[in-house]
This record gives sequence, C-alpha cells and structure tokens, in this order.
Amino acid sequence: MIICQDLTKVYGMGAVQVKALAGVSAKIRKGEFVGIMGPSGSGKSTLLHMFGLLDRPTSGSILIDGVDVGALDEGARTQFRLRRLGYVFQDYALVPELTAKENVYLPSMARGMAAQECTLVCSEILTLVGLGDRIHHLPGEMSGGEQQRVAIARALVNRPTLLLADEPCANLDSRNSRIILDLFQKLNRDLHQTIVMVSHEEWHMQYFDRIIFMKDGLIEKEERRSDEGERHGTSPGAEGE
Amino acid sequence: MFEESKVAFFLAKRSIIRGNKGTLSLTILIIGMVFVNLIFLPSIITGVAVLFNQQSIDYSYGNLVIEPKKNQVFINNAGELQRKLERIPGITGVSPRYVTAATIVYKGNEVTPALYAINPDDERTVLKVSTKVSSGSFLAGEDTGQIVLGFRLAGNENEKLDAIPSLGGVDVGKVVEVTFNNGVTRQFRIKGILTSNSFSVDSNAYITRKEYEDVFGLEDRANQILVRTRETGNENEMRNTLLSYGVQEEIWTWQEKSANFLNQIIGSFNIINFIGTAVSLVIAVIVIFIVIFINTVYRRKQIGILKAIGIDRSIIIKSYLFQALFIFAIGTLMGGLFLLIILQLLAANPIVFPGGPVAPVVDLPLIIRSMVSLFLVSLIAGYVPAWITTKEDILSAIRG
Repeated sequence: MIICQDLTKVYGMGAVQVKALAGVSAKIRKGEFVGIMGPSGSGKSTLLHMFGLLDRPTSGSILIDGVDVGALDEGARTQFRLRRLGYVFQDYALVPELTAKENVYLPSMARGMAAQECTLVCSEILTLVGLGDRIHHLPGEMSGGEQQRVAIARALVNRPTLLLADEPCANLDSRNSRIILDLFQKLNRDLHQTIVMVSHEEWHMQYFDRIIFMKDGLIEKEERRSDEGERHGTSPGAEGE
Repeated sequence: MFEESKVAFFLAKRSIIRGNKGTLSLTILIIGMVFVNLIFLPSIITGVAVLFNQQSIDYSYGNLVIEPKKNQVFINNAGELQRKLERIPGITGVSPRYVTAATIVYKGNEVTPALYAINPDDERTVLKVSTKVSSGSFLAGEDTGQIVLGFRLAGNENEKLDAIPSLGGVDVGKVVEVTFNNGVTRQFRIKGILTSNSFSVDSNAYITRKEYEDVFGLEDRANQILVRTRETGNENEMRNTLLSYGVQEEIWTWQEKSANFLNQIIGSFNIINFIGTAVSLVIAVIVIFIVIFINTVYRRKQIGILKAIGIDRSIIIKSYLFQALFIFAIGTLMGGLFLLIILQLLAANPIVFPGGPVAPVVDLPLIIRSMVSLFLVSLIAGYVPAWITTKEDILSAIRG
C-alpha cells in the first residue's frame, strides 16, 4: 500500500517558483490498477516520480508498504527501486546493446540472483508478455510495442510491490497501446500486481480500477471504475476498428 | 562488491561486443601507438647510452684508468707498473701513454688537439683505435716522425664541412709541423687517418711514446695507464683488486672518467624523453576521456534510466572503467606486438647515429613503468567522465 500525505513539490528558486504538487494526499491499495490523469502541468508525472523515488518532495511524506521512503538515503533508495519498484517509461528505455533477455536479466543480476534462476525467470516473464520467441533480439530489431513489452518484463523481473508506468503508450499506435494495456490488466488480475499509470488518453480509463484526476498540482477528483463492464468498455481506437 | 563488478563487467562486455566497432578500433589503435611511443624513445636513448658507454671503453679509457698520485705529473717506473698489472688475474691489456696538447700546423692551418703518445702494441691490447684506420696505416712500435690523425682533425678542403677547427684536408703522406708545449717543433709525416665514429678519437692525434720521450727527454714514465679487464661491469671490484696488489696511483673507472660527458648527453635525452612521455600520456588521457565522455553523454538518458530501475551508480561507473581497461589492455597488447616488429627490424638494421649504429634497448622496468602509467591514465580517463555524467540527478538525465 502507498500512502502519501500533503505532498508538495516546488521547482525553482527565489521569485520564480512553480508548484508542481500543492499538497497531495492519496492512498493506493495493494492489487489496485490506478490511473493518474490530467492536463499537461497538472502534476501527474511529478506524483509518479515521487512514488518511484526518482525525486524527493519539498514537503510531505510517502509510505510504501510501511516504509517511510523519504527517510531513506540515496543508496537505500536505489536498493528500494531495484527490489520493490518496477518502472516503465514512455520511450521503452532499453539498453541498445542488450538483447530482450539481457535487458530483463539486468535488474535481477544486480539484485544478486543466481544466473540459472535469472535465465529461468527472464524466459518466464518474456513468455508472459508474449515475447517468448524474441528473447535473443536486440531492441533495434523489435517494434515499439515489443520493446515496451520488454520494458514491462524488465520492470516485473524482481516481482515489485508497485509497478509504475509513465505514459507507456505515448509512443505507440492504438493497436500496440491496447496490447500493452491488456498486458497490464492481465498482470493486475492474474498476479494482483499493483499498478499506477499516468495517461492522458481518455480511452485508457476503461482499464483502471480507479482514476485520480489532477489539476494544478492537486487532486481534482477520484473516480472508481470497479465494474467489470465499465473496465471493458470500448475505446476510441476500438470503435474505429 | 563482487556482484556489482559482475553486473558492470556484463554491461561493459556487451557494450564492447555490440557497440561501435570503428570508434573502439580507432581508440585501441591510438592507445597502442601511445604505448609504442612510451617505450620506443626511451629504448633508443638507452641504446645511445649503451653505444656511448661501449665507445668510452673501446676508444677512450678501457675499463680502468690509472693516473699519477696527487700533486705528481707522471707515473714513474711505468714499465714496472705495467708488468705488475699484466700479472693480475682478470686484466687482459695495459697501455701506458702520455696525454698532452700540441699545436699542429699545415699550410697555414693551425690546430691544437689532444696528442696521445702511445706504444701501438700495448694500445691494441686495450683500445680498438688501431682498427679504425680509414686511410694509410696505424703506428708501429719504433715509428718516429710519424703521426696518425683523426679525420675531423685532418678536415676538409672546404672548411664549411668541418665540425671542428681542422688542418684543411690534409692526407696520408703529407708533412705537418708539430710544436710541443716545451717549445720543441718537429715535422711529422701523416701515416694514417682514423675514422671511428667516436668524436674524441676522430679529433685526436697519435704519435709513439718513443718519439714523445725523445722530445721531452723522458724515460719509462706515463701520465695515464689504461687497463682492459676481461669483464665489463665489475670495475669497482677490479679497482679493489688493483689496490690489494699495491697499486698506489689514482685509479678511475671508465664510468667516472666519462661521467660528465655522458651524463650531459643522457640528461639532455632524458629531458626530451620526459616531454615525449608526458605528451603521449596526455594524448592517452584525452583520447580515452573523450571517447568515454562522448559515450556517457550520448547515453545520458540511458544512464538515468539505469539508475531509475535501481542499478547503482557505482555499477555504471565501473562498467565504463572496464571499457577503459579493455581499451588499455588491447591497446597495450597491440602496441607491444607492433613494438616487437619494430625492434626486430631495428636489431637487423640499426639506426646510424653520428656516434655509430644504435639498436634500441628495451628492459623490463621500462615496459612495466609504461604499462603502469598507461594503466593509471586509463583508469582516470575512464573514471572521471563516467563519474561526472552519472552524478546528474535521475530526472534531469532522463529528460535529456
């Protein structure tokens, strides 16, 4: 579970200050698939960065599974990211010289997992994301959707408490976007993976259990979409197909 | 720590195998050439030192030089001392000589070289001067009225070609006028011209001891006795042996006699070598630094992502360090092979210096010193840019 209290983030010094977060309090329960939506500059990515320990809040606190992550030093934050968090970026962010398998292998290797176990887990996860036959391909030899699935596999390899996705479909067409979102949904349902995803596409809402709408650094409203039917409504992309 | 190194090595290995081969090859080539430069110039300097040392022994001093006791001009009873020395084990030659200055005149050209009065047969047992006659012949034991000149002293008709004041192109058979420092003037026929590659020999004049003693009214004296020993390198030990046999005169080793001259030359070479080494290492630092820096800056975003997914900064730095060390290792190996080829070629065809042919001399300490300095330079040049780039906070790096 993630609990954040009165999170603020102020960028800039002196007279010109930008308040990216203006006092956000929220709770993400275990097994939830939460979407964070809002216009540009609303603070949704900043909030995700706070959850992902990529940035520190100006004030406020974040508890992840009972750990006050604000109190961790840099080394402990790195270890926390490695062992407890998974991150999926907008532009896949794979290491170009590593194959799909090696990209996934990397975090587990850094964690100290035995080589044999690493190989087994990587193959399992790549099969889970539908890339069992592409494990020896380099990122340059794969489509955007395939690369993003490798990135998801990499985020999952250490069985994270929380999977964070920062506009993971921004660089994908609607067909590949749906593949990724379906995959997230499958992971959420089958593995009870907690997922927090930033998006600005309205049709993505159908995949989320709950949506946090943000505006001007504050939570404007929250919307629960627990109904199965609602979660599998038609998307603009789907409507057109 | 080991786990970290394992991951760093994994990243470095993949980067080397699947990265840009052209840049990597060029970098390795440059480091290889730097390694060659680090070794080649000092090896030539060592070769020059070896040549000069050998020339000092073969053409100027032998292994030991015995000179009169303090405040004395001559060694008295030189013949007796010579016989005593010849009986000492390990001594293969003894040559008593007079060393003086004289004025030589030929057709208005006047020079004042060092004049050596020698017994040619004794001189042959110590020095190789007699083997370097390029025209005419060397002195014989009973020669009088005969002189042998170094080719620089004999000179050229066109004085612009002369390196020192000369007799203007005098040749074998010509007669020169020699004035000794007691005022006696005699005429000498030129018996031979020496061309030895040793600057001092080629600038000297030689007559027999018999002639000199006749001019000065001396008998059985010398102001220098050269000694040749069976082995080179144990001169200090041999000096002690001579002392133990009761030799009371001043005994110098060839190193001591030639120290100033050699030290000046080698000192000058070492300054040039230091500059060359420093420039080479600076080139190595710059090349590796630029390659790693461009590599890290180009991958700034990727480095940010790696940090974001929990890869420790030290792992990323180490991966670049491993790459720098790979460049060092392969560059050194390649440079070493290239150097081996050059050394083989130069051993067969030595570079001819003004002092003679010089073959490069490579010793283990030089190789180790060059490798260690290049290793340290590679470490620094790999570490600093990786450290600078990975210092950036994650979000700035990801945003590029």
